[in-house]
Amino acid sequence: MTFRRIMRSFRLKLLMVMLSTTAVALLLAGSALLYIDMRDYHGVAVRDIQTQIALIGRASAPALQFGDPQVAAENLTLLDIRPSFEAAAIYNSRGQIFATYVRHGLEGDFPRFPGNEGVWMEGGNMFAFHRILFEDQIAGTIYARIAYPINERLLQGAGVIGLIILAALVLATLMSGWLQRFLIKPVVGISTTARRIVSNRDYSLRAEKLSDDEVGDLADSFNAMLAEIEARAGELERFNRDLQNEVAERRRVEAEVWRLNRELDSRVRKRTRELEQANAELEAFAYSVSHDLRAPLRSIDGYGEALAEELGEELPDDAGRYLDKIRTSTRRMGQLIEELLNLSRLSRAQMRYDTVDLSAMAGEIINEQQQRDPERKVHVVIWGGMTAKGDPHLIRVVMVNLLSNAWKFTAHTEKPTIEVGNLEEEGRSVYFVRDNGVGFDMAYSDKLFGVFQRLHGQNEFPGIGIGLATVQRVIRRHGGRVWANAAPGRGAVFYFTLRPDSASNAGDDGTDGGMEHEHGDSMPGSGDEPQAGRKLPPV
Amino acid sequence: MPDKLILLVEDNEEDEELALRALRRAQIADRIEVARDGKEALEYLFCEGVWRDRDGSRQPDLILLDLKLPKLNGIDVLRRLRADERTRRIPVVVFSSSSEDEDITRSYCSGANSFVSKPVSFSCFAKTIGELGEYWLSVNHSPSRPSPPA
Repeated sequence: MTFRRIMRSFRLKLLMVMLSTTAVALLLAGSALLYIDMRDYHGVAVRDIQTQIALIGRASAPALQFGDPQVAAENLTLLDIRPSFEAAAIYNSRGQIFATYVRHGLEGDFPRFPGNEGVWMEGGNMFAFHRILFEDQIAGTIYARIAYPINERLLQGAGVIGLIILAALVLATLMSGWLQRFLIKPVVGISTTARRIVSNRDYSLRAEKLSDDEVGDLADSFNAMLAEIEARAGELERFNRDLQNEVAERRRVEAEVWRLNRELDSRVRKRTRELEQANAELEAFAYSVSHDLRAPLRSIDGYGEALAEELGEELPDDAGRYLDKIRTSTRRMGQLIEELLNLSRLSRAQMRYDTVDLSAMAGEIINEQQQRDPERKVHVVIWGGMTAKGDPHLIRVVMVNLLSNAWKFTAHTEKPTIEVGNLEEEGRSVYFVRDNGVGFDMAYSDKLFGVFQRLHGQNEFPGIGIGLATVQRVIRRHGGRVWANAAPGRGAVFYFTLRPDSASNAGDDGTDGGMEHEHGDSMPGSGDEPQAGRKLPPV
Repeated sequence: MPDKLILLVEDNEEDEELALRALRRAQIADRIEVARDGKEALEYLFCEGVWRDRDGSRQPDLILLDLKLPKLNGIDVLRRLRADERTRRIPVVVFSSSSEDEDITRSYCSGANSFVSKPVSFSCFAKTIGELGEYWLSVNHSPSRPSPPA
């Protein structure tokens, strides 16, 4: 049994503690007893030898006095009843041996001269000299030798103690089995439980409480701890399960999102295909409009002309007029188709972004208008330094339409004024074209940007009603918004932006946009120049 | 204008009649031949089919070519013309109702010399045809005719 093994076994350790405690206790007790025994034995021997030789000395004093060794020898023979006395002698006052005694079978071996009074020990014997006094005179000396087996006795005592210890240890070892049941077993039970818990991770196990002592308390505490751990472990497990569920749920959702994305993707692709198809159909339609619809018109006009030419004067007046009307309508329809095609082309054309000098562009357009219409005198105000980001060609289309409208609808106005400017609103530019022409009723503003919608009679103001639809198409392609504000007889303002509104809810159809701006009371062209940052100019 | 020949490729009878009327009025050609579709146009030019007996050395001085034609469209006709030594130098004016960028581009890429949209108004139409004839048959110099095939 190695020390290491002992150190690893609680049972052995306990046994060792018990055994060593027993051994040490018994050794100490035995040693003490032995010591006391030795001391007593020594004292008894000393007293015995002294008493006996003193008695015999006194009894022999007269014999010495009278020189009767016979009596002295008889006195010495009394020692025979004391088995420890081996030899004794009486010396006379001159130091000569007077009488002797030797136990049967032993040697006398007397000192030749009496020594000093006293007791000494030597080699398993005790020796003593005692002065015999007679009437206060030294009559002689008595000597005795007794057996004094102190070493044997010591060995014997030690042997007994050893035996006792051995017996105690054997007993203690035997008792350890019993002790184990009461002491170690509960602890080992706890330990076993702990081991099983560690290996099985089963926190529902409980240590058996086998006693009400500290180990029992330990078992209670251990079980309480286990309960706590079990609760925590359960909580943790629940948490883990929740987490796992959450992870699973998340995976499921991710898969779902992925699936939906794919579905969306395929749907988008499908829609894109459909859109492309629709676009292709639209283009085919546009193509057929451009080609097929115009051919019959050309025929109508052509044959009308032929009819007019062939019959000429023969036609009744009314018939000639009707023929003219037919041809005018035909040409007008051709024009409508042409404009529609232009509009469709604007929607399809590739966008090319650039910085546009809007002030310069407006100036050029106004000059063109003036050249086409040299008679008119229009007061035109164009703010300097206006730039815009967009497709230069498309923005020109917008400006041409808005400015030609302004030009057209101020035809019957006294002191016609057209103003082109821009304002900053919510970080983006709002451009406007304002005139003091006929204006329109805001009740019809929803018709304003529709194709072929006109708010004025053809006789009053010529036009086919596609300009503002075109404007809106272009503005929308830029992601901007166009709206108007007007009142009959008080002019109109058209606003447009070329970038998406910062507020995402702002509709870009522009038809209701005009309602956002209150009708101003100030008359158009009243002279106050709008300043940047001011509220949008009223009509 | 002596001895000028125009080939009009036009499927629409009315357009054809109006075009002929306009051409006659403008007095720009002595002879106007009409092909009703792309196939017939090629047969005329290459003296095949119904035109098998035609004098192949007399090629048109100008071809007015509609784009939208039955059987073989204008672009295909144009490509075939330009691929053949006998016809590659004949001025071709695409005369179409279309004014689509794509049609214009494709026409030029296929070898058209000019692209003119047919106006709806007959007076404009007639005026345009007159101007076309004037330009291509009098003002413009075309390369000399190729020698007839052996």
